[in-house]
Amino acid sequence: MRNSRDTQLLCELSRPGRRAARLPACDVPERDIADLLPTEATASSPPALPEVTEPQIVRHFVNLSTMNMSVDTHFYPLGSCTMKYNPKRNERAAAMPGFADLHPCQPEETIQGMLALLYEMQEYFQEISGLPACSLQPAAGAHGELTALLVAAAYFKDLGENRSKVLVPDNAHGTNPASAAMAGYRSITVKTTSDGFVDMADLASKLDDEVAVMMITNPSTLGLFEPHMREIADQVHARGGLIYLDGANMNAILGITRPGDWGADMQHYNPHKTFSGPHGGGGPGAGPICVIEKLAPYLPTPIVRKEDSLYALDFNLPKTIGRVRSFFGNVGVLVRAYAYIRTHGPDGLREVSENAVLNANYLLSRVKHILPVPQGNRCMHEFVASANTLKKDKGITAMDIAKRLLDYGFHAPTVYFPLTVPEAMMCEPTESESKETLDAFAEVLFRITEEDAELLHDAPHSTAVSRPDEVRAARQPVLTWAALSEAN
Amino acid sequence: MPYHYNTPEDKQAMLSAIGAESVDVLFDSIPAELKLGRRLDLPPALSELELDQHLRELASRNTPAGEAVCFLGAGSYDHFIPAVVDTIGSRSEFYTSYTPYQAEASQGNLQVMFEYQSLITELTGLDVSNASLYDGASAAAEAVLMAISATGRHGKVIVPESLHPEYRATIATYLENLATEVVTIPTSGGVVDPEILSEAVDEETAAVVLQQPNFFGCVEDAAEVNRITKKAGALLIAVFDPMSLGVLKRPGDYGANIAVAEGHTLGSPMAYGGPYLGIMACEKSLVRRMPGRIAGQTVDRRGNTCFVLTMQTREQHIRREKATSNVCTNQGLFALRATVYLAQLGPQGLRETASLCLQKSRYAAEQLCQHERFSLAFEEPTFKEFVIRDRENRVDDLLKSALDRGYLAGLPLGRWYPELADCFLVAVTEKRTKAEIDGLVSTLTKASERVSVPATV
Repeated sequence: MRNSRDTQLLCELSRPGRRAARLPACDVPERDIADLLPTEATASSPPALPEVTEPQIVRHFVNLSTMNMSVDTHFYPLGSCTMKYNPKRNERAAAMPGFADLHPCQPEETIQGMLALLYEMQEYFQEISGLPACSLQPAAGAHGELTALLVAAAYFKDLGENRSKVLVPDNAHGTNPASAAMAGYRSITVKTTSDGFVDMADLASKLDDEVAVMMITNPSTLGLFEPHMREIADQVHARGGLIYLDGANMNAILGITRPGDWGADMQHYNPHKTFSGPHGGGGPGAGPICVIEKLAPYLPTPIVRKEDSLYALDFNLPKTIGRVRSFFGNVGVLVRAYAYIRTHGPDGLREVSENAVLNANYLLSRVKHILPVPQGNRCMHEFVASANTLKKDKGITAMDIAKRLLDYGFHAPTVYFPLTVPEAMMCEPTESESKETLDAFAEVLFRITEEDAELLHDAPHSTAVSRPDEVRAARQPVLTWAALSEAN
Repeated sequence: MPYHYNTPEDKQAMLSAIGAESVDVLFDSIPAELKLGRRLDLPPALSELELDQHLRELASRNTPAGEAVCFLGAGSYDHFIPAVVDTIGSRSEFYTSYTPYQAEASQGNLQVMFEYQSLITELTGLDVSNASLYDGASAAAEAVLMAISATGRHGKVIVPESLHPEYRATIATYLENLATEVVTIPTSGGVVDPEILSEAVDEETAAVVLQQPNFFGCVEDAAEVNRITKKAGALLIAVFDPMSLGVLKRPGDYGANIAVAEGHTLGSPMAYGGPYLGIMACEKSLVRRMPGRIAGQTVDRRGNTCFVLTMQTREQHIRREKATSNVCTNQGLFALRATVYLAQLGPQGLRETASLCLQKSRYAAEQLCQHERFSLAFEEPTFKEFVIRDRENRVDDLLKSALDRGYLAGLPLGRWYPELADCFLVAVTEKRTKAEIDGLVSTLTKASERVSVPATV
């Protein structure tokens, strides 16, 4: 049960003279700071951090934690985010001192076990994607997109080709066009048909010799496998372009089909989604990428190599794009993904996808009688329902339903994405949910659609907070507690 | 199988409801010729017990800090992590949640983001902070993109050689296909040379990136660098060490417009380089160009104070190719850990930690330099790191022999700075005891004696 007194801001809990940490006495001969540092560089007093005790800190943050929904407490069918169960064995693995307490610049002979694990991860990612080279460096999915686009740019520069465009379907994640722009490309939108597939005529009209890369999400954000995938890849390749696969939806196809086998030249993974590293309230994730052989020379360095039974870091890629961050990569996330892959094996990973797709189709079969699912009767790991009819008939929006679901103890699906479906509600149950949970969710969804519109407009009713004023937040931004005292 | 529920009966019932004969049928939309048609070539599944044994075996082939005494730095440091940080960071309501898209179901995360932002602004002396980025180096690259956009100057950005080489490399990679040139300027005596900087900076310069304390551990004349930068109308981007702000001036106090840092040191482990925490703060006027999530305070429909993600019109999910950045995730869990860490330290704890780093590192430097083989490469004052020159120019042998005696004694600099091939970088945090420092000195000097005295038969 939450206690709201201790969830006041830390600055409100602060009293001068309180403290939590005691540091050891200085055991070396101590000198006056003024003798060690130039006075113009030093601060006369430390930053005005709050002064609180350790019991206060614990009560404050534990109470705050109870104000979240999470995978460990609730069904969290947030489409595109793959909110699956986060195994506790993964957490224990990443916390082992033999991994957690390694400095990134240690000599290779002191990190052979770490490098062995990372080498295996490169191999596993390559095998699962069907792409023969891997960089573990990118820190997140979008970072992987950017990295791969920079790899593509270096490749074309090396060929002496000046290509300026990246094609992105209109139902892609916003990160795709944003990554293209950051990599120096012009992002060109390709339409999708009402079925949710790439519009082949529109693609043909936009595909020219200036296209460097086509980014595609497959299965798509609508949870559909692109039927023209091979054809799209062939056409892009015929014009000298490359295919980038947004790997956000790999949870649908593990061991069933591989992007490298349908013409993808590059892809990223989201290990925090597909391979169960937790989402951490928004991160950290990781964004390793795999590429075809001819792009391998351009990958960021270092790459882990195995020579005889020894592992080494290879910095010697003369054509590398360089670095996209410091040090090796988000290793802690990769250790968790390693634990996940090793405890599943090839059959277990396939079963993950089978159950994810079974659960999604089952939920779809229950939901489509309540809310239309414009793009069909079947799906892969997720589907997009639409509240558009309900909005027209009763004035109930996707947002109303999302908020009301919270009252019934369910996290909301992703709403208003993709933009191609009006009043979109994107549901991804994942494999780690039971039929009972899916039944209960469908029943609640049905009950909500029968409820009074006014009740829904004001939902949620049971949470401590309801319908924050987002316009005010954006127009009169209060982003720190210092700004708070200015505002008052 | 580990984490799914469906019994054969469940599956049958679900397939009937779907109207499918088998699970395989659900994959019919994938053309048959694109299917793998074989098992993935991966090792067979391990039980949890076997996994644990396997990971222990892998981990035993590593030498973590704790088994060796760690004097390595260069942007990743062996600082102490209080138990309370692990306790709060292990609350699964925090670590198994996601980006707070539904504010009502995420007030815990949102308030933590708001408190994190508040602490970072106190720490940096700047107006606003985002809710975190990937790491220090990518945050520096994002800051450069911000500066280019804010100034409208696409000519160049200036990075002194005293900026972390991997940060320079990251900035260069980010700018590779954009119009802006990265100009690297040499340093003098380990710090920025005002004359060289004055010559390099001009009306085409978007920003100067200053690391304080710098990669060599030296304290730069930040006020002077700021003066030169501002005279040309460029922005100053500071790369700071959060721990140093217990004794050093804050970036905002010496004129930085944007400040970025590697924040893993605030309560998260070294973890072989990641995940880490990219800190970014800036002046109010730059906030709409800032990348990443930002939490703000507002009121709800009942008039209660609450928190939401705000200013989202900067972001990729709204603006797509016109967004300030492609960043989608933040490092929420590590921002939480940093928030708890800073609350635990408080102002006095931060000051004492910084002071311990300063005192101990200076003691270590002095002790080492009492030996004729070693000298400081640079005379400038340092905070917690310093560069030692080995007059015998046998850095690799020296460090190898120290490692054999249980010391990760330092980082050779020749890989990044050929002219410093006879030098190594040593970092001393509050965790290092006098006994460990004396041990390091004794080990390095003994190694030296063994090398310098010819063997007699």
